[in-house]
Amino acid sequence: MRQLVVRLNPLVLVSFGFASLLGSFAIRDLPSAVAGVVAYAVAAVIFLPSWRYPLACLALCGVSAGLVAYSAWRLGNSDHAPVAAMRILVLAWPGAVAVGFVDPSRLGDYVAQGLRVPARFVASFVAVLQRVTSMTTTWQQVDRTRRARGLGPGRNPVAVVGHAGSMTFAMLASSLRGASRMSIAMDARGFATAQRRTWAEPAPWSRLDVVGLAVSVALGAVPVVARLLT
Amino acid sequence: MTSAGEVRLRGFTWRPLGRRLPVVSGLDLTIGPGERVLLAGPSGAGKSTVLHALVGALGTTLSGELSGEVVVGGRVGLVPQQPGDSVVAERIGRDVAFGPENVGLDRDEIWRRVDRSLEAVGLRQGRDHPTAALSGGELQRLSLAGVLALEPDVVLLDEPTSMLDEDHAASVREAVARNVADSGATLVVVEHHLGPWLDLVDRVVVLDADGQVVADVDPVTFARDHTTPLGDLGVWMPGLPAPQPLAMDPELVRPERVLPELSAVDLDVVLRARSLRGTIETRALHGVDARIRPGQVTALTGPSGAGKSTLLAAFGGLLGPTTGRIEGVEPPLRRRRSAALAADVGWVPQVPEHGFVAGTVREEVAVTAGRIGREVDVDALLAHLGLDALAGAHPYRLSGGEQRRLSLLTAVAHRPGLLLLDEPTVGQDRRTWAAVAGLATAAASAGAVVATSTHDRDLVALADEVVALEAGVRR
Repeated sequence: MRQLVVRLNPLVLVSFGFASLLGSFAIRDLPSAVAGVVAYAVAAVIFLPSWRYPLACLALCGVSAGLVAYSAWRLGNSDHAPVAAMRILVLAWPGAVAVGFVDPSRLGDYVAQGLRVPARFVASFVAVLQRVTSMTTTWQQVDRTRRARGLGPGRNPVAVVGHAGSMTFAMLASSLRGASRMSIAMDARGFATAQRRTWAEPAPWSRLDVVGLAVSVALGAVPVVARLLT
Repeated sequence: MTSAGEVRLRGFTWRPLGRRLPVVSGLDLTIGPGERVLLAGPSGAGKSTVLHALVGALGTTLSGELSGEVVVGGRVGLVPQQPGDSVVAERIGRDVAFGPENVGLDRDEIWRRVDRSLEAVGLRQGRDHPTAALSGGELQRLSLAGVLALEPDVVLLDEPTSMLDEDHAASVREAVARNVADSGATLVVVEHHLGPWLDLVDRVVVLDADGQVVADVDPVTFARDHTTPLGDLGVWMPGLPAPQPLAMDPELVRPERVLPELSAVDLDVVLRARSLRGTIETRALHGVDARIRPGQVTALTGPSGAGKSTLLAAFGGLLGPTTGRIEGVEPPLRRRRSAALAADVGWVPQVPEHGFVAGTVREEVAVTAGRIGREVDVDALLAHLGLDALAGAHPYRLSGGEQRRLSLLTAVAHRPGLLLLDEPTVGQDRRTWAAVAGLATAAASAGAVVATSTHDRDLVALADEVVALEAGVRR
């Protein structure tokens, strides 16, 4: 059961994000908010193969949810604060988790062949996504080099934040420079003149994909239904 | 009219943005369809620039001032100098398929070419193996497979075997030769070590430091008549003995604090390429025992993917072993804060650019010394490695070989007791090689522990000790 999500096609995975995004607009009161959050939490427990990643996403989304709740409370709307926070969670968390399971190349296959999006656009988009997934390796390398050069952070928390900032800047510089080298490498593999592009793998829809899409729509509909029922 | 596979440069001049003088100026070069050309010259001569011109990247993707005529007939395929740049997919099969997809082949033909190309370069992990789990040398072969699968009219290779051991390099050359013979494609190879390529090409073009053609002959004449003059220019001419390491003032590299012997004890390192669709674990090192000593240069050798870089990083406390330990230095390097680590360690990473933080070459060299409060004679160091003329240049704007030398200086300038060099001689000509080798041996003679992972036979010959690895195990 918990390995099925890995076999879903990438469009279905992305649909979880879209369904939750649309569903979050229906969250106006406490019952619909709680229903939405609980539905996705239960789904996560049942369907996801690992704990760490969804919890990490939850923590990150929790930051923005917390900030939204705080500003609602400061604006004197303290009743609404928990609802606003939960709306942000439903809006962002499922999509963030689902996207983590997408293989960029497979997403490209489905977007180009299934949705008929122009091939060149899809191919460059896929290459960029691939770059993002390889960023952890680059980060590790840059971090290691800086540590060896005495440029790592000390114990001081301010320095730690400063280090993170300068690492982020280094990553930005490295990805900009990497982008031009990558674009040269891509063009020099026939991409510059690619008019009619083909795809190495087909984009089929299995029965599991259909069920997955149904679950995704149903989860997105939970806040709507909760709102109609109360 | 240009026919497929023809290459023509007329008065080609290129001045990159931010450089005062052109890298290449007024270059004339015509290559006929099916010709196989070896392009040689000292580090920084503009060899990669010529390849970039041929793929149409100058003035478009790379900014600068381009003049003259550049004409290329037919489809071009390039293996870039940094092989990681050409990775476009998460799995190796899909990555190689990128070229065939671009030219609109049908699915059966795509996979036929993918399998054949992966086989040709000796990557046998299977189509679904993640690209993130490949070593530098493996990425280099993947990049070549991607170009072979495209079956281009013009094949351009930028130092395609720089990170490969002899066996893999030979099989890569063989794969290139077979492919080019079958397809009749034009071949332009940029390489520093010319010897092994001479049988494969029918013409050798040598550029000098200003990007001018100083020799354009067939390989036989080349080997017969040009050995001495071009050897003096810095070209790795076959038949010449390895250059003598360039003597260096030992005070420039004498360790502030001499370290004791370091030993790796029963070291296991498992590297994880993690994605949510699964974690690929590569056992980079398994039960490795090794020692590196002060006053000696130790060479870590072995085929690509053997675990050389991993062992080097583990010695420097830059990577934690899964089990086993590194003994000898107290407090252990792994547990130290950055500045305390840097006081004893200098590291040259495989991709030099990752370490650069300053705006000029001169500032870059002094960064670590400034951080831990040590004096450094920047000018003397720059002069030793032939970078004095580039002291004011931005580190990112240097050529591949120049960046590697700068990276070496950033590692050694603060005079650490442990010097770890990951492939320090890649992209070096004979003269810069002598300077790099001279620095490594001078540091060792002055008391530093020097360890280098390398495929370079001449560098291994200079080493006092050799640690041979294969598939993560001591051989």
